[in-house]
Amino acid sequence: MSTNKEIGLAPPLFLQAIEDTGFSTWLRESESPFAFYFILLFHTFGLALLVGTNMVVDLRLLGVARGIPLAPLKRFFSIMWIGFAINAVTGVLLVVAYPTKSLTNPDFYVKLTVIGFALWVMWKIRMKVFEDPSLNEAEMMERGAALAKWSLILWFGAITAGRLLAYTYKYLTYPS
Amino acid sequence: MNFPHLHLLLNHFPIIGTVVGLGLFLISMIGKNEDLRRASLIIFAAMALLAIPTFFSGNGAEGAIKKLPGVSEAMIERHQGAAMLALLFMEITGALSVAALWKSQGISRAAKWNWRLSAVLLFSAITVCLMARVGTTGGDIRHPEIGNGQEEVTEGSSLSKLLRRVEPSPEKFAELMTASKWWWAFMMDLHFVGLVLLIGTVGILDLRLLGFAKQIPIDPLHKLVPWAMAGFGLNLVTGVLAFTGMQDYYTYNWAFWVKMLAIMLLGLNVAAFYLTGAFDSVRDLGPGDDAPPFAKWIAATSLFLWFAVITLGRYIQSYSDTISVHK
Repeated sequence: MSTNKEIGLAPPLFLQAIEDTGFSTWLRESESPFAFYFILLFHTFGLALLVGTNMVVDLRLLGVARGIPLAPLKRFFSIMWIGFAINAVTGVLLVVAYPTKSLTNPDFYVKLTVIGFALWVMWKIRMKVFEDPSLNEAEMMERGAALAKWSLILWFGAITAGRLLAYTYKYLTYPS
Repeated sequence: MNFPHLHLLLNHFPIIGTVVGLGLFLISMIGKNEDLRRASLIIFAAMALLAIPTFFSGNGAEGAIKKLPGVSEAMIERHQGAAMLALLFMEITGALSVAALWKSQGISRAAKWNWRLSAVLLFSAITVCLMARVGTTGGDIRHPEIGNGQEEVTEGSSLSKLLRRVEPSPEKFAELMTASKWWWAFMMDLHFVGLVLLIGTVGILDLRLLGFAKQIPIDPLHKLVPWAMAGFGLNLVTGVLAFTGMQDYYTYNWAFWVKMLAIMLLGLNVAAFYLTGAFDSVRDLGPGDDAPPFAKWIAATSLFLWFAVITLGRYIQSYSDTISVHK
């Protein structure tokens, strides 16, 4: 792998320390179908649950399929949080498997930031639109429309930044 | 079973199926027969789905026979170019047919003629011609007794000369897909966006049918299905483009083929939902109503198969070169 000669800086040593642990090595190198690709699979399941349900709520707030009553959609926030929990856990495991690859890539921090904003918008939608029983549907949509647009944009950005991690890394593992 | 066998098993369906579909469609126009028209649209949609693994199986068939004596690689290339063009028109015909079927829901028997039906007529007629060309160029590869016995690529009529000019070169097309990693990353990104569109909408409908968030009536939720179809369409396009970019990578991969099988089974599941009365039994369900068991089975099958598709798609990378070929 390249050795970053231009600025003469090596990635921090703790990345190598994580990589050298048995668990990280197993995740990365095991031939078992329950190692790396299994974690990656659940990261995709989590994405489907989290972003899929978010997207439907957003589309509804923007006026798609208006016949769907808004109030019961509140139940889907539990699916979003399950999806997020799966992805937080699997995300950490993916970083454990390839710490140098992810943590030396600026795109990784872009992804985390975008997800942070997306979760914040998700929380705002929950609080401003779904937790106020005095609102009628028109008011809920009025309050939620701008947030829903941001939600769609941010989740699209999160997926894109996540996908780009596979194409933009500088080191796959710690440079030797 | 090997790839030539699989290709031969599949390749007659889209060719003959579109001819049958067009025939029924024309008869339905003359006889103003709404049921027959529906049947022909369903046939077009089914053939569009089957044409995908048919196209994919061609590369494996090529790998198996291209080194045999008397087999011309140029003829295979020509056949593949013809197949790419025919596939494009087949998928457009399928998409238009699905749109026409969607539009005709709940409309009384005397559904009006609309632009979708005109477009289906136009595109299916073109598809039939292109499929004939695919069949002919495919037959030429292995059946010299039918043609003029020549081993070189020759175009007899001016129509086939014209087609030759518009058919893509598979090799150049593959280069185009893989030349830039950013283009590839963009396609994969869209493939994930399509996944989210599809799973989000279909998943929520399936969960409601299974009894989750029962306060939601079915009919308005069902209005999200075009978004699922858009997601499927996006993934069909990006998936086929990815395949044409790295044909051997996908061809010799178990996970890829089981994924294709799961997608075909999903097609059957959709047919079971709309054509056996399951949808009619749930479309009027209001808040709190429970779906009948048959509809629940279909919803559970749909959820299981879509997650299987995601699983198999994810494992493609780790299953590369898992199908060995005897060389």
